[in-house]
Amino acid sequence: MRYNPVTKKIVDELVEILGPKNVFSDQEKMEAYSHDETSAEEYGHMPEVVVTPSTTEEIAKIVKLANRELIPITPRGAGSGLSGGAIPTFGGILLSIEKMNKVLEIDDGNMMMVLETGIVTNEVNALIKDRGLFYAGYPMSLETCFLGGNIAENAGGGKAVKYGVTGRYIMGMELVTPTGEIVELGGKLSKDVSGYDLKQLIVGSEGTLGIVTKATIKLTGLPTAKSNLLVLYKNPKDAIDCVPVIMAKGLIPTGIEFMDKLSVKTSCEYLNESLPYQDCGAMLLIEVDGTNAEQVEKDTESIGDLCMDNGAIEVYVADNYTTQERIWSVRRNIAEAFKVVSPVQSLEDIVVPIATIPDIIPELDRISEKYDIKIPCYGHAGDGNLHATLVKNPNHTMEHWHEIEPKALRELYEVTKKLGGKISGEHGIGLKRKNYLKEVINPVELNLMKAIKKAWDPNHIMNPGKIFDLE
Amino acid sequence: MNIIIPIKQVPETSNVKMDKETGTMIRDGVESVINPLDLYAIELGIQLKEIHGGKVTVCTMGPPSAQKALREAIAMGCDDGILITDRKFAGADTWATSYTLSEAIKNMGSFDLVLAGERATDGDTGQVGPGIAAWLNIPLATYVSHVDEVTNTHITVERLVEEGYQILKMPLPTLLTVVKEVSDPRLPTLRGKKKARATEIPVFSTENMNLNEGSLGLKGSPTKVVKIDYPKVTRGGKMVSANGEEGINAAIDELIKFLEEKELI
Repeated sequence: MRYNPVTKKIVDELVEILGPKNVFSDQEKMEAYSHDETSAEEYGHMPEVVVTPSTTEEIAKIVKLANRELIPITPRGAGSGLSGGAIPTFGGILLSIEKMNKVLEIDDGNMMMVLETGIVTNEVNALIKDRGLFYAGYPMSLETCFLGGNIAENAGGGKAVKYGVTGRYIMGMELVTPTGEIVELGGKLSKDVSGYDLKQLIVGSEGTLGIVTKATIKLTGLPTAKSNLLVLYKNPKDAIDCVPVIMAKGLIPTGIEFMDKLSVKTSCEYLNESLPYQDCGAMLLIEVDGTNAEQVEKDTESIGDLCMDNGAIEVYVADNYTTQERIWSVRRNIAEAFKVVSPVQSLEDIVVPIATIPDIIPELDRISEKYDIKIPCYGHAGDGNLHATLVKNPNHTMEHWHEIEPKALRELYEVTKKLGGKISGEHGIGLKRKNYLKEVINPVELNLMKAIKKAWDPNHIMNPGKIFDLE
Repeated sequence: MNIIIPIKQVPETSNVKMDKETGTMIRDGVESVINPLDLYAIELGIQLKEIHGGKVTVCTMGPPSAQKALREAIAMGCDDGILITDRKFAGADTWATSYTLSEAIKNMGSFDLVLAGERATDGDTGQVGPGIAAWLNIPLATYVSHVDEVTNTHITVERLVEEGYQILKMPLPTLLTVVKEVSDPRLPTLRGKKKARATEIPVFSTENMNLNEGSLGLKGSPTKVVKIDYPKVTRGGKMVSANGEEGINAAIDELIKFLEEKELI
């Protein structure tokens, strides 16, 4: 695909639409918009110009301009993505929604909220807590990520076992289509089969089918009681084997997180925290929440007993803010900690049916041994979604790493596929995994996806180079 | 080694909101937790018991709901908990609190060591631990960061002071207030939680303690809160624009003048 460069004339036109403060092209300022949380060296790319619009109409004008001039547009939230989705691979216009962060309506009657999508996800809950309301979308990066990014990636997180992922809570949206039209999809409706459900097509489309400018999100009652278990196991297999046992009992925890010893150790050292990981090989972090404190305590205890009966060495209980924050911050900081100690790595996001996750652990061991690399593993075990991370062996050269990384990934993805799984559960395909998608997805499905992309974005200007290549 | 640990239940402070009218904290809906600095004392107590044997008793003065903090400490590994509660104790300052706690400790039988946190995160005075030592007339070491040696008659500790560490050999019984370097608090186990739930918590009150009523609660407190006020924060920035060489030089001169006036250079 050939795009035209962003000329001075185009920058002037952007300034005319947005004012001089919202258009910039100096390298130093643009650097921050050239990468996300994937390796900047490997995937980063500079935009030609960055724009920070404040209204939907401004965005529509920019998109129309991009179509007219054949310039690629990359929409961007907070840049905390893990698949390279917000990277302007073809340069062009980087459109950041950071200034679109207004709360438009809190509708107690319908238990819904209408927001601009540049709001930090954590702030949503801070705003409605006093009303006894709760937004259950919970990505692990909740303190930095934007709602818009959560919608683009259909973000999951640590509460998905009970609450599901972002898409469940997106009732309606305002979208600027790739051709620059403004459309409202969905609404404050619990049911709606008036035609195709286009809003759910947008959820998880990684910014390739338009820019979501406003969202109507579903709220639930605020859970007032919460308890966590930190369960220690001799080895990862014992821990993972326990997950389907818990799930099959019908006790619905909010989340079941898995962390192997290396993950816990790395995060603890990064945070200067001391969880008792020395004598164990893996841990499960299990959360139970609800509105009835007694019931939550009872369920927590039942799950704890079940773990003890199924191979756990010890069960710790965290039922207040201090202890809960201690253990959750260890879990939340694993990815960040690994980035510090081993910057050359590949953070994966495989997802398999819950009952088959015990089968993945020996495969990880096999791949790790075959390529002489470490594969620490953590993630949302209760969803069958594991962040196995391929870490470069410090004794290997970069050339060697570049040679074995794709091979090891292919093997991992093949195993995942064999188990009925997919290569990304919540991070997205983006740039990072697009070369592998065609190998693990049915060609009919892939062609349907491409047909949709072509129909929505005839000039192919909306976040090109992500998920799949059209050529 | 018998160890007594007075603890305090405090509001969990990460989401505290203040009442702008009265200047006091809004306690509604705020979770109560063990004073985070007391956790280091609890952990140290449990570790000493694990090495030297004996018993760890936690106690707290507070409303009946404070027994939750005692049960949490028992779940971590303490043996017993004692709730010191009475309407007459309400509103006590550090003087009245340390008097009441010291009288309660006298009622708990013989002990070798009293361990306390450095201070509570709500009142922030750090006076109750030392106050108890004074009432009990036993030696005191504050800011203890490490325990070196324990014998039948003495304990040797390192104490954090401004210039470094002070090593003290203290005769038992003694009272130590500890800082966070002293230990890494463990998490309570499920077994511990179950044990804690089944543990009976005795209650000490004016009914079963022989107390001087004039030294209790608000009435017995020499500290009087006259007024609560917000400190005024006055921070004003000044923008100096520096366009062109002349402008930059003028801005540098202005900055130097400012720093000289403030005696910063």
